[in-house]
Amino acid sequence: MTDQLTPEAAAPARSAGVAETLFRFQSLFGLVAVFIAAIVFSPSRGGELLFLSSENLFNVVRAVSEIGIIAVGMTFVILIGGIDLSVGAVLGLAAVGSAVLLVENDYGVLPAVLLVLLAGLVFGLLQGIASALLGIQAFIVTLAGLQIARGLARIVSGGQGVAIAYGEGPGEAPVTFSLLGERTFNGLVPIPAVIFIVVAVLAIVFLRVSAFARHVYAIGGNEKAARLSGVPVVRVKVIVFGICGLLAALAGIIHAGQLNQGSPNDGSGYELDAIAAVVVGGTALSGGRGSVVGTVAGALLLGVLNNILALNNVDPNVQLLIKGLVIVAAAGLQRLRPS
Amino acid sequence: MRKVSRFRAGLAVAACAVFAVACGTTSENSGQAPPTPSGSACEGAGGSYVIGMSQANVAEPYRQRMDDDIRAAAKAVPQFQVQFADAQQDNAKQVADVENFLTQQIDLLIISPNEATPLTAVVKKAFDRGIPVVVLDRKVDGDSYTTFIGADNTEIGRQAGKFMVEKVLPGGGKIAEIRGLAGSTPAQERAAGFAEAIKGKNIEVVAQADGDWLREKGQQQADALLKAHPDIQAIYAHNDPMAEGAYLAAKAAGLDQKLKFIGIDGLPIPSGGMKAVEAGRLSATFVYPTGGKEAVDAAKALLVDCGQVQKTQTLQTKLITPENATAEYAKANPS
Repeated sequence: MTDQLTPEAAAPARSAGVAETLFRFQSLFGLVAVFIAAIVFSPSRGGELLFLSSENLFNVVRAVSEIGIIAVGMTFVILIGGIDLSVGAVLGLAAVGSAVLLVENDYGVLPAVLLVLLAGLVFGLLQGIASALLGIQAFIVTLAGLQIARGLARIVSGGQGVAIAYGEGPGEAPVTFSLLGERTFNGLVPIPAVIFIVVAVLAIVFLRVSAFARHVYAIGGNEKAARLSGVPVVRVKVIVFGICGLLAALAGIIHAGQLNQGSPNDGSGYELDAIAAVVVGGTALSGGRGSVVGTVAGALLLGVLNNILALNNVDPNVQLLIKGLVIVAAAGLQRLRPS
Repeated sequence: MRKVSRFRAGLAVAACAVFAVACGTTSENSGQAPPTPSGSACEGAGGSYVIGMSQANVAEPYRQRMDDDIRAAAKAVPQFQVQFADAQQDNAKQVADVENFLTQQIDLLIISPNEATPLTAVVKKAFDRGIPVVVLDRKVDGDSYTTFIGADNTEIGRQAGKFMVEKVLPGGGKIAEIRGLAGSTPAQERAAGFAEAIKGKNIEVVAQADGDWLREKGQQQADALLKAHPDIQAIYAHNDPMAEGAYLAAKAAGLDQKLKFIGIDGLPIPSGGMKAVEAGRLSATFVYPTGGKEAVDAAKALLVDCGQVQKTQTLQTKLITPENATAEYAKANPS
């Protein structure tokens, strides 16, 4: 790793500390900045800012939840210097799996959810084994994983979306599952957002306190050194991919609940949205540096940006352009970070 | 007073968003107008109206044309302002698009759903708030919408079959069929109508292949079909791009003069089916109307004229042959 010497880094220690803090929490500041910009540019109706209406803010958080949950798993993978391209397809497979188990096989909610989560976990573990044990690059392994998961989703669903109808009879999903859809916690916060928050908090705490987390950062920083100092590299890597697969499956279950359907094409391109959230969140693609807090902020930043562009009726093609520029800018800022 | 509480609510929610902590114990839930009965959105010719158009995927030329038709038709109604959203073939994105329209308090929603079931709930949400909903081309489940405008794919398939029987192969013969995306409703219906029309007319479909609506896939499939069955006399494709792909395959095999090609869609754009018929590559195509103009007409009837519209409006297709291709193209693109 070469040190990027910048004016800030060369300056006296105190200002370097300030700079370090600024860069470390870049995405949080970015989120605040985008949030303020969204308030400033928010269209209003009858004196009320549309962006700040509680309904709109909850739409934003809900729309971010699925990508956010995937991005948390992706953060772990990227921290060890890997990448997981299969998460969008695993989400699709999990959505289809949930729908098929609930509707066509009349499973209860709990067994269906557990089975799908287990499938996601196993899928991730297998990718981890292929990557860590066989030494195939994560990019290749998960690219193959993407194809396999997509193919499985098409086979399981028969190539078509499986609609989820609610009720007690055969061929209907238990009503409990519809909680993931429109129903909200306390009548305010959508359930998917609550799950996202729980996942994020667990991941943040986990990365702060566990020995496993130190191993993750050590492998990403310098794999060889980590191995020589006794870090069980293979085991940690396999588990990390397992976590990522598990969270992608969790997002897939939510997806099915949100849309009342499992469709084999669901989640196409979500892996790129998740990677974007991680990068905007300040995690280095080379591994070893980054945080889940950053990723959560990155996902929310992109969600707020999506929302305010839409509320201002920016042309959809221009929206893509702006989002691309924001990602480049965030990654560019990280290059200036004193290390 | 209200202003202060809204500011506080805003701050609280900002804190939620920034620190990602679970809040949600307040009962603040402003900005949700009580649902008004459907049909009360009309303010007559003196009002001004914002229409939200939620498109499934602008990357398909047919859907781009639908947006263009809406844009052109809305220009003629000074009271209308149309906002467009593109879901990029993602159901979840389309749900968010419609939610954003609801936040913007649009006066009328036009939606061409990516898929029926996933969009049903959010369309119902709009409809239940008293916003008239015009559903275009693809349906949603249930009946929580104001009007559905679309063409009848089975009928179009039937007419294509009739044309094959009467004009292309009056004495009977062997043909191949290149189908749309397996499992999609239009592909099933265009196949069923066609099969019905050629039944007992001495026309044998010797080969069928899935072209996934794509030109290059149509070409690949036709390559293989022509090798296996060099004696076929015509190819029926479920859309024009696949028919054009089949034409290219036949040309590469030196068979383009011996074969006839029939497509569907007849888009009046430079790369569309009308031009392909005009240039003689396709024998015929059947217009699959976008309904864009009809959607704006319905919006005008509901909002400006305070009238009623039919629950279902089925659009008629039109046969395009080299005789009328030039005239129809000009008619569809008034300068």
